[in-house]
Amino acid sequence: MAAREDNLMSIPEHQTPELRRRNIRLAWGLAGLALFFLVTSFPFWTGIFRIVGTQALQ
Amino acid sequence: MSTTTLTHDEAHHHEAPKGWRRWLFSTNHKDIGTLYLLFALVMLFLGGASAMLIRMELFQPGIQFLDPDLYNNLVTNHALIMIFGAVMPAAAGLANWMIPMMIGAPDMALPRLNNLSFWILPAAATMLILSFIIPFFPGGGTQINTGWTIYPPLSIQVGMSMDFLIFAIHLLGISSVLASINIIVTLLNMRAPGMTLMTMPMFCWTWLVTAFLLILVVPVLAGGVTMLLFDRHFGTSFFDAAGGGDPVLFQHLFWFFGHPEVYILLLPSIGVLSHVIPAFSRKPLFGYKSMVGAMLAVATIGMVVWAHHQYTIGMSLGAVTYFMIGTILISIPVGLMVFNFIATMWRGSMTFETPMLFAVGIVLMFTFGGLSGVMLAVVPADMQYHDSMFVVAHFHYVLMPGAVFGLFAGVFYWLPKWTGHMYNEKLGKIFFWTNVIGFNITFFPQHFLGLAGMPRRIVDYNMMFTEFNVVSSIGAMIFGLSHLILLYIVIKTIRGGKKAESRAWEGAKGLEWELDSPPAFHTWTVAPQIK
Repeated sequence: MAAREDNLMSIPEHQTPELRRRNIRLAWGLAGLALFFLVTSFPFWTGIFRIVGTQALQ
Repeated sequence: MSTTTLTHDEAHHHEAPKGWRRWLFSTNHKDIGTLYLLFALVMLFLGGASAMLIRMELFQPGIQFLDPDLYNNLVTNHALIMIFGAVMPAAAGLANWMIPMMIGAPDMALPRLNNLSFWILPAAATMLILSFIIPFFPGGGTQINTGWTIYPPLSIQVGMSMDFLIFAIHLLGISSVLASINIIVTLLNMRAPGMTLMTMPMFCWTWLVTAFLLILVVPVLAGGVTMLLFDRHFGTSFFDAAGGGDPVLFQHLFWFFGHPEVYILLLPSIGVLSHVIPAFSRKPLFGYKSMVGAMLAVATIGMVVWAHHQYTIGMSLGAVTYFMIGTILISIPVGLMVFNFIATMWRGSMTFETPMLFAVGIVLMFTFGGLSGVMLAVVPADMQYHDSMFVVAHFHYVLMPGAVFGLFAGVFYWLPKWTGHMYNEKLGKIFFWTNVIGFNITFFPQHFLGLAGMPRRIVDYNMMFTEFNVVSSIGAMIFGLSHLILLYIVIKTIRGGKKAESRAWEGAKGLEWELDSPPAFHTWTVAPQIK
């Protein structure tokens, strides 16, 4: 019984709090990695800033 | 305490909910896997229908029944539906079904996110289909005649259907990234005690690498199409040369995603082969560590050779040389994988059930597609082959055997586990042979068409190309219709058949085969101990 109780984690409420924390922390880290690639690996934001800057100077 | 816990568990989690709520609100990895697979099957038939229309049009020279722009819209739609709607969701379906069962986890790490990842897909598919349909309505604008690469400046000039397509790509990207995050977290945090990364099943390894690739490249595509959207509607000139922009920048962004995407489509199928070939050869996989290394090498090199799709844009000699050498280098780890599969079969007690037939077919045909890839990687040769039917033949030889046949192998291999019934082996073999013969009749002649100079994405062609096009179109009809056999087999197996044992295949190894066929609604609620 005890072994089973320790290992019940099929649904989020059955994941141990520590495991759940680890899962969510890693998920946010990976989401951050995706976001990093979105905003830095190409000139999207620099282009936006340039446009905004150009318009502000006009 | 333990009594309370068990009562709660039995009451809530050991039986499948009933009705539509089971599917709409599901957080169960098996149900979500089933949803992904059914979605992929529907999209496979949609994409297949567009392919058959394309081949019907090309049956004879001259314009038969498709307007040139509509023809190119079909070409665009076919590619996007097959890649984003059929292959990727099917691979995600296999991942959802199998990864938790293979690593001894009760479910995916983030089950609610899993639900969201799937249910974004139907919305995205609706947008994608609307992008095809919108031009038929008054005021709907022009057809998307760009091909799946949606290169500007043409894609800036297309009507509002392009906006639907851009939003569809955004949604598909979000779904892929969320699913990838879930898969990585599951694989890194939810493995059964005692299962290390280097003892993890190979299918899990392939998905770990695939998921990382998706996280790294899909956001770049999202950024590219966002810039495209800004150029179309908000007065920016990222890709408009008249405003100081550069259309070639979009090509770089697109292929930074597009080339790794090839490996994203391939790797899960390589994972399937890594289970099917040992099972039907009754031998362990040859060179597990080298397979992992090869996969990591393919992913790493695959990320930095994207511009071999753009040799004709006028890059410097140094740049094209770098991209050529890098691309050819990929054939080394890919060759290693093929070698390992052959070495696994070597002196094995091989039997040729349907999954193994597909596996052997993949090794042969994918290698053939890889060889024409090496031809295309060589810059002076590619200058001749570029944008010809040779390229169409090449990537279909890579993606059909490499990705789709691999998924078929996986479906036939695990169908007894999922449904609890054995499929009809005779029908399976009929499906394999009609499918493979139809495929080769369709695409093999396209090599010659391309070498003779027939361009791709053109609705009409010179009389001299007629014979091979007739053969190719007849093959396409056989190939397309053969999938009805698959549909029949799947429906028949779900509805009944010979009872499958827990270990449906004599040589199958792994935790998933320790579970009943079909497995309980929740499995591995007690984590297995791996020794």
